[in-house]
Amino acid sequence: MTISFKQIEEKLKTEAKRLLESGQASVVLAYGKGYDEKHPMPYVARNPSDVANIVFNEYCNYNMARYLVRYPAGTKIAVAVKAADSRAVIQLIQEEKVKREDLVLLGIPVYGMKNPKTQEIIDGKTTGGLYNPVLYDILLGDEVHGQAIQSPYDVLAAYELMDKEARFAFWKKEFDKCIRCYACRKACPMCYCDPCFIDQNKPKWGDKSPQSHGNLMYHLTRFHHLAGRCIDCGECSRACPVDIPLYLFHKKVAKECEEMFGQAAGMSIEDKPALVNFRVDDSDKILE
Amino acid sequence: MLKKTTIDKLPELAAALMEKGTLVAPVKEDAGFNFREITDAKQVDLIFHNTIISPKSAFFPQVEDFVRYQTGKSILEAAPVELNLKPTFLFGVRPCDVKSFQIMDIHFSGTGVVDPYWQKRREATTIFGFAFDMNEAADAAEFYHTLGIGAADPEGSDIFMVRKDDILMLKVITPKGEKLMTGLSFLTDASADEIKYFDDYITKGYDYKTCYTCVDTEAIAREFEAIFDNADFWTKISDACLSCGVCTFVCPTCYCFDICDETLFSQGTRRRVWDACMFTDFTLEASGHNPRTKVYQRLRQKVCHKYSYHIRKYGVISCVGCGRCTRYCPVNIDIFSIVEEAVKAKWYKRL
Ligand code: SF4
Ligand code: SF4
Ligand code: SF4
Ligand code: SF4
Repeated sequence: MTISFKQIEEKLKTEAKRLLESGQASVVLAYGKGYDEKHPMPYVARNPSDVANIVFNEYCNYNMARYLVRYPAGTKIAVAVKAADSRAVIQLIQEEKVKREDLVLLGIPVYGMKNPKTQEIIDGKTTGGLYNPVLYDILLGDEVHGQAIQSPYDVLAAYELMDKEARFAFWKKEFDKCIRCYACRKACPMCYCDPCFIDQNKPKWGDKSPQSHGNLMYHLTRFHHLAGRCIDCGECSRACPVDIPLYLFHKKVAKECEEMFGQAAGMSIEDKPALVNFRVDDSDKILE
Repeated sequence: MLKKTTIDKLPELAAALMEKGTLVAPVKEDAGFNFREITDAKQVDLIFHNTIISPKSAFFPQVEDFVRYQTGKSILEAAPVELNLKPTFLFGVRPCDVKSFQIMDIHFSGTGVVDPYWQKRREATTIFGFAFDMNEAADAAEFYHTLGIGAADPEGSDIFMVRKDDILMLKVITPKGEKLMTGLSFLTDASADEIKYFDDYITKGYDYKTCYTCVDTEAIAREFEAIFDNADFWTKISDACLSCGVCTFVCPTCYCFDICDETLFSQGTRRRVWDACMFTDFTLEASGHNPRTKVYQRLRQKVCHKYSYHIRKYGVISCVGCGRCTRYCPVNIDIFSIVEEAVKAKWYKRL
């Protein structure tokens, strides 16, 4: 089975138009034309006539769930979600940032998505190893079955071979490249805090200048704020202008969380976020 | 005076410059190229399109230390940080980026309020401009041609360089460049054919097409003023915007900064650090009031500062069309399209 991006695009347009016309949604978060084929953009359709601008191709990596919290509570929003994006929506529902009844999820079953910078297929590396949205109202195509599934944690193999010192040296070198543009947190659907801890100055948690200690403070804190919440969409790493592989840390934490609490982020709206929930039989590994 | 050397002798040229002072040149890194202070002459790499971060950091580094102090000690013991600059060579700067220095000069010295850090770095630096490779197609994000900048425009450089296969030609443009060039004795004289090639290349550079739209500064300023209050327009333009710092940090003409007191244990430093109008807290006032709480207000500020207020105040557009903001924007917001869109109805004509 091969994915027809064109077909998904057509269905996305049809459904978006129907939802806007019937008033079931006042905005549709989807993908639109950018300055060329390889650079589509996140797109918001508000009127049935906007639908003509919607596109879908292998470069539409954006996690549209990121924009949900931008709209006032109660806004009826239809949102296009690929597998990881649907998990972000679920996680946001768990965290009570959005309400299930306000959303129409336009599920996109897809694989073969590409990073426009490197042309690399990103399915295994940064999109959680799932091809079908976990939750949806309308599916824009047939569910993907029979396609080899890569574990989202496979890419950790080399990283896990490093000992503590080597890992510290690895991250120090990576973080020294950071220019503190904050594209990583701004691209992340789970980074909705306002203000973010790093922007606070009373107390001040970290320096503004991009130097080793401040960068470490920013990233380690952010990584931990995402523990049990990161849904592995990889947007943070793709947003980074200097290509810091943030996904490695997020995946490592996600893996440990899954092992400890038997729950991956954003898989069911019945779950509670792992680090917010207390169960008597919770693992004590974290205290060891 | 047109001199030449070969690309494989680049390390020799780099070493000669390093002997005379500090060399800042493009270096290949994991994610792409960046200007760095060279420590090993072999690092210099001219086979690049353009750098990720603009060369503004040579004059306006992301972090500039002003004063060092100890917490708990008297203010009288605080010491200003002296800039002890060696002669500096900024090597391999693309014409659009060279142009950006002139725009930045307006703010850092041109208005009469002189920023000593910028000024001293400018004075210490000799600029080696470097023509784009016109055999390559322009990047889809670039539009310097729109702003009247040629792909091989020597204006603003002290020495200007053109590469022809494995030959690197260097031409003196200013007296500062001339002084330096006479000291580089291993460069050889270019032949008459090469002189012709060089001159033709510069002329051809003005016809080299990047994205292009006919720009009349007065008309642009007027159009942007007319749509300032059109919240629908700006909301649509900024629907995708993440409000991050990428576009302003990579931009050669963005100059906003914050002054921070940063302390590590008891060691304190008062320093200047790049800031960005796209950050949520950029306009946060001490009272808690923030006049720009919406993303569209911030993106409007960024675009209108460059394409409207700057024209009204200083007569020039504060953008050189280098395309970095578009190229590195995580969601592909394209400033050229915004300008085109804003002025579409009335006078815009695409060539
Ligand atoms: S941390 Fe990165 S991978 Fe995880 S949800 Fe946020 S953007 Fe996606
Ligand atoms: S996107 Fe990259 S450079 Fe920017 S703050 Fe995040 S890690 Fe640092
Ligand atoms: S235009 Fe792009 S780079 Fe600039 S703030 Fe918005 S998302 Fe970030
Ligand atoms: S606004 Fe964009 S195109 Fe213009 S100078 Fe800045 S980075 Fe370059």
